[in-house]
Amino acid sequence: MKVRSYGVVMALIAIAAALAAPLVADPFWMTLITQIYIYGLLALSVDLLLGHAGLYSLCQASFFAVAAYTTAILQVRYGYPTIVAAPAGLIAGTLLAVLYGSAVRTRGVYFILITIALGYIIWGAVYRWASFTGGDNGITNVPPPSVAGFSIASQTAYYYFVLTVVILCAFGYRILIRSPFGLSLRGIKGSESRMQSLGYRTTMHLYAAFVISGLIASLAGVLYVYYNRFINPVAASFQISVEVSLMAIVGGSGTIVGPFIGAGVFLGLRNWVSSFFELHTAVMGAVFIATVLWAPSGIVGLVERWRPGIGKPKDQP
Amino acid sequence: MHSGILQAINGVSFAALLFLLASGFTLSFGLMRVVNMAHGAYYLFGGYIGLSITRYTGSFALGVLGGGLAVIPLGYLIDRFLIRRTGENHLAQVLLTVGIAFVLGDVALKIWGGDSLKVPTPIELRGAIELPGGIIYPAYRFVLIVFSVFVGLSLWLLYRKTQIGAVVRAGVDDREIVSAIGINIDRLFVLVSALASFLAGMAGVVGGAFLTLYPGAEWEILVYALVVVIFGGLGSLEGAMIGALIVGLLDAYGRWLLPEFSYFVLFGPMAVLLLFRPRGIFGREG
Amino acid sequence: MTAAVAIDSLAKVFGGLRAVDRVSLEVALGERRALIGPNGAGKTTLFHCITGRMQPSSGSVKLFGDDITYLPEHQRTKLGMGRTFQITNVFTDLSLAENLALAIVGTDRRKWVWNRPLSAFPAVREQALAGLEAVGLKDRADDPVKLLSYGERRQLELALALNTHPKVLFLDEPCAGLSPSERQRIFKMIRALPREITLVMIEHDMDVALGLADRVTVMNRGRVMAEGTPDEVQSNPEVRDVYFGHV
Repeated sequence: MKVRSYGVVMALIAIAAALAAPLVADPFWMTLITQIYIYGLLALSVDLLLGHAGLYSLCQASFFAVAAYTTAILQVRYGYPTIVAAPAGLIAGTLLAVLYGSAVRTRGVYFILITIALGYIIWGAVYRWASFTGGDNGITNVPPPSVAGFSIASQTAYYYFVLTVVILCAFGYRILIRSPFGLSLRGIKGSESRMQSLGYRTTMHLYAAFVISGLIASLAGVLYVYYNRFINPVAASFQISVEVSLMAIVGGSGTIVGPFIGAGVFLGLRNWVSSFFELHTAVMGAVFIATVLWAPSGIVGLVERWRPGIGKPKDQP
Repeated sequence: MHSGILQAINGVSFAALLFLLASGFTLSFGLMRVVNMAHGAYYLFGGYIGLSITRYTGSFALGVLGGGLAVIPLGYLIDRFLIRRTGENHLAQVLLTVGIAFVLGDVALKIWGGDSLKVPTPIELRGAIELPGGIIYPAYRFVLIVFSVFVGLSLWLLYRKTQIGAVVRAGVDDREIVSAIGINIDRLFVLVSALASFLAGMAGVVGGAFLTLYPGAEWEILVYALVVVIFGGLGSLEGAMIGALIVGLLDAYGRWLLPEFSYFVLFGPMAVLLLFRPRGIFGREG
Repeated sequence: MTAAVAIDSLAKVFGGLRAVDRVSLEVALGERRALIGPNGAGKTTLFHCITGRMQPSSGSVKLFGDDITYLPEHQRTKLGMGRTFQITNVFTDLSLAENLALAIVGTDRRKWVWNRPLSAFPAVREQALAGLEAVGLKDRADDPVKLLSYGERRQLELALALNTHPKVLFLDEPCAGLSPSERQRIFKMIRALPREITLVMIEHDMDVALGLADRVTVMNRGRVMAEGTPDEVQSNPEVRDVYFGHV
């Protein structure tokens, strides 16, 4: 019980702080924090596979970008309202996940390489299919989202909108990972052979997880395009896919807050370093290296060591 | 008709370059089970260093050699002190080596700047060759094909016909066996890793002479190399040869016939192949 | 009467090596069969081929008369086949109760429930606790498996297989690596299993094998070299030479 109430208290504090943020933060910070929520959500989609199912997908940017591009193109080029464009984006991104899900037939390093290559298909498509996607320039002038005459135009309004979506997602995600299905994913991560002998068609479970992950990534993509008001091929790039998996790990894989903490640390650090140091990409590269070598269980993992109520695992035989 | 043949030569010469890069990648995976995403950065670094050497000495051959050699210590240090520590965790390897590639890329940007740079080729290679049928094609690309065939043949002989190649092949199949028969597997790792670095660095110089070198080139070429090894099967030298040809030709014809969808032309068949043979054409089960 | 398990000239070839060489055997309903033989006799490979972990090179496997040779593993489990692994194969990152819950919902539709937490299924929890009690681990239900000793993990290994409610249970060296007192404990647990469960077990420990089994099959170099009651097998001179001579 003690452990559980600790988590609830922390979550309430975090939500209260998030709700109060617009009262104290200036536009720069508001932009950054909104960005952290959106990337955190994308990192969460990575972590459903990474932290729970044990699959390392490196094509999450594809679902993110396809959702964002679909919404942007429908809204800007064809003039559809948000109520059509946003769900269409979600559906398009998720359908891509339904298609790409066949990658779960493979495991380990093959899965990693295949998802990298699949990710490049979308990047290549949005980059080269310029007549439809705008090529390098992308799609600009995406209007703010508006539903039934209400436009979520102001930065603060959109902040609260994103926050609401993220909290709802986190809540739903929590139910998902605590469900028998969620447990089955952790079972597969632990031992796929045993899961099969217990009666699970593991590939189908992984496939379902892959599609759900694609749905979450697509949601992040739709939120992103309305936040950014434009979209270009960078959103579909391999770099984004790697960065968000790093966020999930930096924060703490297998947790809900971890990916958001990771997004905060990563984006905050990049913003800060790039303000005074020319080689900021190199610094981010160093963060990758340092995380892998010294903090593979992430910030949440580091905190857990000192957290009350949870002992260190005893020595193994 | 002429353009069709031209594209074939384009494809084969690009394949020649891809083979240089992918052969090292696939061998180091086969033996050490390491996915090194910094391979593209080795290519870029080798290319830039070769460029500087060529400019300074005026010798393209020295540039190619120097670009390859310069990457060996870099690759060794990265292998020994960083990659080795990830064990067999492929995700950690990918993230780590991506991080390394970011660092190397940024350092290269700082040293050589952000413009596209072309490695100067010797005058003898600058002309064009006229083929029967009136097709005129840059001589350099033909030399590249010949060079790559030479490298491929040497690698193949080394791999298939020598004692050390036999040990490497045994190691690809089963590493414990190699350790068990008393071969110093660490020394073998260093050797293969040095070879892979050398090939990547050298590829950077010869590639930089017609594709030019610029920030981001390391990722573009790496993806092609990945597709080559996915087609051919990770760890297979013959697979890298066939894979390079497939990718080179698909890319050339894709760009020519369907410029907006050239990535589909390249990745579509790959995705289909993977559905039926997840380990590529020459990949082994297990 | 149909046999619980019927294997007809099953073979498994690796490269040039015949790990299992045209093995045929039948296990009757409710029978307890021990599979013994020196290391490398092909026992575990045969097990893998029967349970679906590996695909046999030739031959067939029947479960209650149905041909299951090419059925995927998870479907065999649904038909009532359960197994344990020689190398302990449990979920070390989960709690004991969660381990059992995976086994319990694995054979029904509840494994697909995604919109309700596991805690909303009190029946699963109850079954899990009962399953743990059966192997003497009830008071550790909420500990992570990481904290278990090796012997306790072997007990959990057995509990996992039992909670898929198998009609035929395959045990791959259930006592592997255990101390004599731990062996005794597992031995008693297996002995206490309801007789309706058909048992096929690989066992190195002669006392365990002969104390539990109705019939014994002896394998050597991929083939069946003898089969019979424990007494018959023990008195078979050929078996004594190949097997008991090695001990």
